[in-house]
Amino acid sequence: MVTHYKCPNCGSDMAFDATTGHLSCPNCGRQDDIETFPAENIQQEFAPEEAKEYHCENCGAVLLTEPETTATHCSFCGAAVVLSDRLTGEFAPAKVIPFTISKDEAVAAFRKWTKNGRLTPRGFMNGDRIKKMTGMYVPFWLYDIDGKAEVAAIGTRVRTYQQGDTVITETDFYDVYREIDLSYLKVPADASEKMDDELMDKLEPYDYSDLKDFRMPYLAGFLAEKYDYDEDALFSRVESKIVPYIDSFIGSTISGYSTVSYTDKHINAHKKKVYYTLFPVWMVYYDFENKEHTFAMNGQTGKVVGKPPISGGKVAAWFTGIAVSTFAVLKAISYMVGGVLW
Amino acid sequence: MVRKLSLKTLALFLLLTVFMSFGGIAAFAQTDQHIYDGAGLLSETEIQDLEAYASEKSRENGADFLLLTTDSTNGLPIETYMGNFFDEWADENGQENAVLLTIDMGGRNFYLAGFGTAETRLDNQRVEMVLDRITSYMVQGQYAGAFRETIETSDRYMEYRPGVNPESIFLKTWFHAAAGLVLAAIIVGSMLYNSGGRNTTTPATYIDRDNTRVVRDSDRFRNKTVTRRRIPKNNNSGGGFGGSGGMTGGGRSFSGGGRSF
Repeated sequence: MVTHYKCPNCGSDMAFDATTGHLSCPNCGRQDDIETFPAENIQQEFAPEEAKEYHCENCGAVLLTEPETTATHCSFCGAAVVLSDRLTGEFAPAKVIPFTISKDEAVAAFRKWTKNGRLTPRGFMNGDRIKKMTGMYVPFWLYDIDGKAEVAAIGTRVRTYQQGDTVITETDFYDVYREIDLSYLKVPADASEKMDDELMDKLEPYDYSDLKDFRMPYLAGFLAEKYDYDEDALFSRVESKIVPYIDSFIGSTISGYSTVSYTDKHINAHKKKVYYTLFPVWMVYYDFENKEHTFAMNGQTGKVVGKPPISGGKVAAWFTGIAVSTFAVLKAISYMVGGVLW
Repeated sequence: MVRKLSLKTLALFLLLTVFMSFGGIAAFAQTDQHIYDGAGLLSETEIQDLEAYASEKSRENGADFLLLTTDSTNGLPIETYMGNFFDEWADENGQENAVLLTIDMGGRNFYLAGFGTAETRLDNQRVEMVLDRITSYMVQGQYAGAFRETIETSDRYMEYRPGVNPESIFLKTWFHAAAGLVLAAIIVGSMLYNSGGRNTTTPATYIDRDNTRVVRDSDRFRNKTVTRRRIPKNNNSGGGFGGSGGMTGGGRSFSGGGRSF
C-alpha cells in the first residue's frame, strides 16, 4: 500500500516541513496541520499481488525499496511516498519526534561543526564537500523501566588525629543497607540493524517534550525504516545502558563514608512499558580525499557525531604546543621560586 | 665630536668598573690554600687536584670551599675546634664567606659549616642534605671523594634561593618535561577521543525522580578499630649531632651539622 498526501489546493505531493512542523506543498506553498489533514486527500493504493513491489501513484514507476524501508521518494518523479502497510500492525510506531531541523539548517549546522574540529585537516574544515544529506526516521524502542535494587555494604569512617608523638587512626565500621525503587523513563535503543549502535547512542539525548503520537504524514519527504530487532531482543542492550546509571544512583544514596565496599548487590530491572518510536536523524555523507565519511546529526537538536578525519600534523602541533608551553610555564615558576633555571 | 668622545670615555669607564668589580669579587673569594690536611688523609696528587677544583669553584661561587683534617681536636668539641680554625683563617685571609668541611680522625667525626653568605645559602637543612651524600664516602675512607662531593653539591645547592629545598622534585627539569608530556597526552588524547562526538547522557537523563527512591535504609554501627603509630624521631642515622650551627669563639655565626663515621 502506497500513500501520497495530495495538496488540497493543487494536487501536488506534499511533504513534511521541519521548520513549521506542517505538511507543506512544494508547488503552491499550502501548509496543512497533520492532525486535521483531510482524509480524502490521502491517496492510497493497495497492491495485493506483490507485497514487495510498490508503484508510485503519480507516474506508475516501480518504487525500489529495501524491505525495511517505510518512507522514501519515488526515484523517478521524486514524489514523497509512505509505504503505509509497513507501518501497520506490529510495525505501527507509537511515537515520533518530528524533524525540527530542515535540510538547509542541517547543512549549515554541519558546516559549523566541521569548523570546530581542532584536529581535522584544513581541507575538511570548509565543510563544502557534502555528497548527500538524507533525512531519516530511525526506529528506536523506548523503554519505561521499573526495578528494585537491594544492596548491602560496609562503610567506614576514618578519623586521624595526633596526640603527642602518636598518630591515632580511628576507623568506624558500619553495616549499610539500602532498598531502592528504581524507575527510568523512555530509555532509547536503536532498533535498526544498519545503524551503528555507538553512533546512535551518542546522538542522545532527544528532547521528549516534542514526542508526538505517531502519524504517517510526518514521514512524507523523508526516509524511514522499520525495526529489525523487536523489543525483547533489545532489552539486554538497554539494561546494560542503565546499569551504570543505577550504580551511580545507589552510590549517591550512600554518603558520608570514607570508603564503601559492597558485599551484596541485587538489581532487578524489568520493562514496564515499551514505545516503538521514530527518531529524526540526518545522515551526512561527506567526501574527503577520496574517502567517504559518514556522520549522523540529531534531527531535533543538531548534535553531530561520527569520526572525522584526523590530521597527524595538527595532533603533533597541539601535543608539542601544550607540552612545550607547560614545560616553559613550570620552568618559569621553578625559576621564580628556586632562583635556578636548570 | 666632543660628545662622541665623552660617550666613548664613559663607555670605557663603565666597562672598566664592571671588570674591576668582577675582578674584585674574584680576588676576594679566592685564597691560595683550601686544603689543610693535618691528618694527612690525602695524597699529593689528590691535594693538587682538589686545590685546583676548589679554587675554581670558589672563584665562581664567591665563597671559599675549605677542608680541614686533624688527628685530634685537643679535647675540644669538633664545632669549637673548627670555629677556632676558621676565626684564625678568616682574620688571616680577610674572607668571611666559606664552606668548611672538618674531619676529625681522632673522634671519627666530620662537620660541615657555612660561614658568612654561606650561612644562609647553605643553611642547616642543606648541610644535612650534603652530609647525607658524603657520609658513604666518609665511611669508605674516600676523603678526597667526600670533599669533591661537598664542593660540587654545596655549590649547586647555593645557587638556589635560601629556604628552597634544592632537591625538590618540582624544581627538576625532568619533572617539568614529564609534566608537560603527560598533560599534552591527556588533553590531546581526550580531544581525539571526543572528536567523534561525546556521550552527553548522564545518570540523570532518563531517571524518573518521582518513582526512584530509597524505600528502606539502615546504617548500623558495627565495630571500631584504633591504630596508633609513633612518629619516628627526625634524627639521621650515623650519629648526627650539632645540627643547628652556632657561633665561633671569634663571634662568627655559622650554619652546620656533623656526623660520626
